[in-house]
Amino acid sequence: MAWRAICEKFINAQNLVEIESRKDPESDPFRSRYKARELLKEIYCSLKNFEATEEENGGESEDGFSQGFSGDSPAGLQAAKLGAVEYYLGVNHIDTEELSAGQEHLMNCIKLLERCRVSPENVSLFIHVRNQLGILWAGRDETETAQEFLETAESIYQCYMKEDGTPPTDMTEYFTTEENLLTHQERTKRFELAYTHTMYYLAQVYRNLGQTERAATYCHCTLQRQLQLNQFSPMEWALNAATLSQYYITKGRYMEGRHCLSAATVISGLAGEVPCEPAAQESETENEHWEQLRQKGAEIARCWIKYCLNLLQDAKKLLEDNIGELDTDRQEELKRARTHNEEEEEKCKKSTLMFGSEDTFDAIASLEEKVCCSFPLDFTEARAVFLVGQNYVTQAKEYFQIDGYVTDHIEILQDHSALFKTLAFFEEDLERRCKMHKRRVDMIEPICNDLNAKYYLLIRRQLMFELAETFMEMTDLKLALANRQTDTQSLDNHTIKKFNYLCSASAKYFQMFLDSLCFPEGKFPEHLEEEVLRPALVAHFRVGRLHSRLITFSPLAQLENLSKSLENYKYVVEYCEVHPEAATAVEAELELSKEMVGLVPFASLRWLYIENILFNFFSYFGWSLV
Amino acid sequence: MAGASVKVAVRVRPFNSRETGRNAKCVIQMQGNTTCISNPKQTKDGAKNFTFDYSYWSHTTAEDPAFASQTQVYKDIGEEMLLHAFEGYNVCIFAYGQTGAGKSYTMMGKQEPGQEGIIPQLCEDLFQRTGENRDPDLTYSVEVSYMEIYCERVRDLLNPMSQGTLRVREHPILGPYVEDLSKLAVTGFPDIRDLMDVGNKARTVAATNMNETSSRSHAVFTIVFTQKRRDQMTSLDTEKVSKISLVDLAGSERADSSGAKGTRLKEGANINKSLTTLGKVISALAEMQSNKKRKSDFIPYRDSVLTWLLKENLGGNSRTAMIAALSPADINYEETLSTLRYADRAKQIRCHAVINEDPNAKLIRELKAEVERLRNLLFSQGLQELLGSAGIYTFYTGIHAPVSAGDVPADPNHLTEEGEEGEEAVATETISKEEAAERLLETEKIIAELNETWEEKLRKTESIRLEREALLAEMGVSIKEDGGTLGVFSPKGTPHLVNLNEDPLMSECLLYYIKEGFTRVGQQDVDIKLSGHFIKEIHCVFVSETNEQGEGETLTSINTTGSGGGKAL
Repeated sequence: MAWRAICEKFINAQNLVEIESRKDPESDPFRSRYKARELLKEIYCSLKNFEATEEENGGESEDGFSQGFSGDSPAGLQAAKLGAVEYYLGVNHIDTEELSAGQEHLMNCIKLLERCRVSPENVSLFIHVRNQLGILWAGRDETETAQEFLETAESIYQCYMKEDGTPPTDMTEYFTTEENLLTHQERTKRFELAYTHTMYYLAQVYRNLGQTERAATYCHCTLQRQLQLNQFSPMEWALNAATLSQYYITKGRYMEGRHCLSAATVISGLAGEVPCEPAAQESETENEHWEQLRQKGAEIARCWIKYCLNLLQDAKKLLEDNIGELDTDRQEELKRARTHNEEEEEKCKKSTLMFGSEDTFDAIASLEEKVCCSFPLDFTEARAVFLVGQNYVTQAKEYFQIDGYVTDHIEILQDHSALFKTLAFFEEDLERRCKMHKRRVDMIEPICNDLNAKYYLLIRRQLMFELAETFMEMTDLKLALANRQTDTQSLDNHTIKKFNYLCSASAKYFQMFLDSLCFPEGKFPEHLEEEVLRPALVAHFRVGRLHSRLITFSPLAQLENLSKSLENYKYVVEYCEVHPEAATAVEAELELSKEMVGLVPFASLRWLYIENILFNFFSYFGWSLV
Repeated sequence: MAGASVKVAVRVRPFNSRETGRNAKCVIQMQGNTTCISNPKQTKDGAKNFTFDYSYWSHTTAEDPAFASQTQVYKDIGEEMLLHAFEGYNVCIFAYGQTGAGKSYTMMGKQEPGQEGIIPQLCEDLFQRTGENRDPDLTYSVEVSYMEIYCERVRDLLNPMSQGTLRVREHPILGPYVEDLSKLAVTGFPDIRDLMDVGNKARTVAATNMNETSSRSHAVFTIVFTQKRRDQMTSLDTEKVSKISLVDLAGSERADSSGAKGTRLKEGANINKSLTTLGKVISALAEMQSNKKRKSDFIPYRDSVLTWLLKENLGGNSRTAMIAALSPADINYEETLSTLRYADRAKQIRCHAVINEDPNAKLIRELKAEVERLRNLLFSQGLQELLGSAGIYTFYTGIHAPVSAGDVPADPNHLTEEGEEGEEAVATETISKEEAAERLLETEKIIAELNETWEEKLRKTESIRLEREALLAEMGVSIKEDGGTLGVFSPKGTPHLVNLNEDPLMSECLLYYIKEGFTRVGQQDVDIKLSGHFIKEIHCVFVSETNEQGEGETLTSINTTGSGGGKAL
């Protein structure tokens, strides 16, 4: 009879949207959806006819209007069915880019449901329609409106689960003949999935409202629900968990960060072993899939690198004194405090939201044990973290090679360099510390010089600055070493040569950095952009220092060096005079520069008296003998 | 290097037939630079004002004194950007807005006089200006490419032979580029207009209820404009290269939910529908968090292909203008409001620019050196092995992987055992022969492209044009509007070898055509003569034969010692 025809139409419409529409040609992308729309409209009319006849038969429509129909009453069912068709029409219009019309249909659905109480027959629709309205309004930048719909959906779900909780009717079942009704299990699955979407949309709404913490909690829940309900693709889930770890890491929540990463690594393993190479003659899609797996694997590795790096850097911040050296008192204090905290840590761990099913739980836990989540406090502990990080560097670089992935590759190198840099902080032996910095130079220098300055201007600036700083660090270490060894004796030639080399290398890269700021005609900009203001002034300041540190026994050369030094200090001072707002960015440097501008000429005097070239001296600094 | 913010304009179109049929009301008003939108549902207090660099009233016809024509839009925005290009800046103009709001009309326009959009007008103007040049030391060249990004896949709109999707890659010297995207040399406006035409025909367009011709993809029309100046004193050439990117974005409402993601600029409040995009949501959280603190975390989601390709335009070396297209109809009120809000935000985006000077000559030298090094390495290993059975051997290169798996010290304790600084073990890298060969080939491909003379570029353009025309003719499409004859339909491209000169400064390269039958390559008594240490008397033989259908040619090379420096096209 007629009902059967309606059911068939509905199944056809569903089929058109879910299956046929994928085959629609690019030039007619909504063909199947438009067809489905016609079917839905027909269903709607048929339902309306039913309603008319039922009212003639004197249904109980007037009864209970004030409290709303109960969901399983004939009127309630009728409303739900009509509402469902309105819902599908609304989604159909939105999918075909007719948003306003879509909104109207969805609101009709809401109005129909308003007349009903929430019950297993209609709760699913209650939630679905609000999810859709949430998306629609968020797309129009009306986040608060979206939030209202979604939060209502959330509370409807929670209320329902508390008060009833039986597996509710799925919307598709309104138009199914008896024999095709869903199992309880399937009903639950679909209902829970709708709610997972609500949580996910809320996560986005909270993000848009700037409530990051809340948003992150909802993302975490979404991931958890996906895993519990077994509705996920392993690689995708893993990458999402790894991304979430980045949020926790920046928040300093290393235990959660590590948990996400371990889960990511374990779950990604479910995606199947990544073969070393795709078998020959495989289709393009399979090739692409293989490529995807490799890339995502490498990306998870990069998240691990960041975990190790941040953990080390945060530990360093905790342990360093005001000149950036290891504060041993603080170290002792923290070590003592740690033994107390370990028990609390266990408790805390249980309270955090855990991922994993029974079969993956142990694997995740054993991966977590491989790296600590508390701050490393001495070299041995730091080295353990470093090695884990370095291992992931190797993994990540296998995919992100320089040729093809320049930016990514360099970012990994920068992280590797930063790992060494932080490890060096924990190293007590100066010789070895120096060698760690040398490794940084070795990995960055060739790349920096090979890159095209036009396309990689910003990266090169970073690299040049890092090189300059690394060389500078090495000069400091070399000097400290030399002083320690020879004490009062004068430095030997070899050491001087090396020291001077490091000094000039550092100055050279600072200068390269500064040159990269110049206009094409070679003129240095009069006004520095905000993002390079401080680096540029600092570079000048350091070049000033480096020149004055060069060791030479020729007075003229020394004079030359001092004059260059003075020039750079002067630049800092003069720039800040012309641009007073810059002074706040470089307070300490400015102070010192001012002093140096006053002092350098006199420091030079010592040399000049010896050689009696006072005249030269004066002309050097633009003074005239009166 | 003073920073320049993004220029933002909005433009409202007339009602379309569908809207007129439904008696739509106009919700947009404009006054000077200000655009006002009123809410059709709350007439009392629903009006909102926005101010932009330009507000274009194109809702009525030319009779209306307030009407903004295609010419005016070009004069204000296109011309300014073109002048920046002459100064050497990279420039970018992109159109944003809801499907059917008039983006394509503003960018591309129609063929009729006075209806051309920014792209054709800018091209015409470009050639007009270069044509006026009387300075013998100043020469110009123009190359264009046209691609579309549909569901994150890049397609070449100018080359009918390239079927699949193109890879985007990043090269240490070339920067980000689309592999195998055809860059065609053009000498005058008619050339470029024909190419545009062809590209527009190849674009993915669809008919929907909302719009009869809705473009579903992002289209990027790129002009690489080179100004070469010869210095008489030193007889040195300096080059100024600017890239002009003209982008017609896919409809803004499609952002995220269906794969045609907008640019990064589209940071709006859209909700991703599908759980598959969860990661992108989380990554936004991590980013928001890290911006405040530090940049030491890693977000494992790349932006869309478009953002990636335009990053130099949006991030640094460029002058950018945006035109937001608006629908006037009350039924689109919400979407139009959202477009206006987005445009309003875009005003605050700042980019600062660096003038680009002389990249090409240096590029060639660097790449040559790289190739030379790789080639020497390969030769020293015995090239024939390369093409033989699979196997692994070790060779080192300074560029590709200075530190790789092999030499990372597993334990920093071993650091002390290494030599003095500066004398550290050179990084060795283990790569397979196939990989080495592939790398060499790739680099050579790039070199060949860079090395191409202008004449060759033109020749190549011509041959692609012919291929395209042949293909179009087959499909029953004629490019010329007047339906005039197109000349020879199918001169088959003759296969040839491109020779790379040993002298890095010689920018020319020779072409060797390979005839049907046998073509022998070697030192003496051969069809193609090569000289050099590693060239054997009979170096290799190419066999070219026509297949049975007589349609195509198969090119087989029989190597005696392996491939030389050439590359078969």
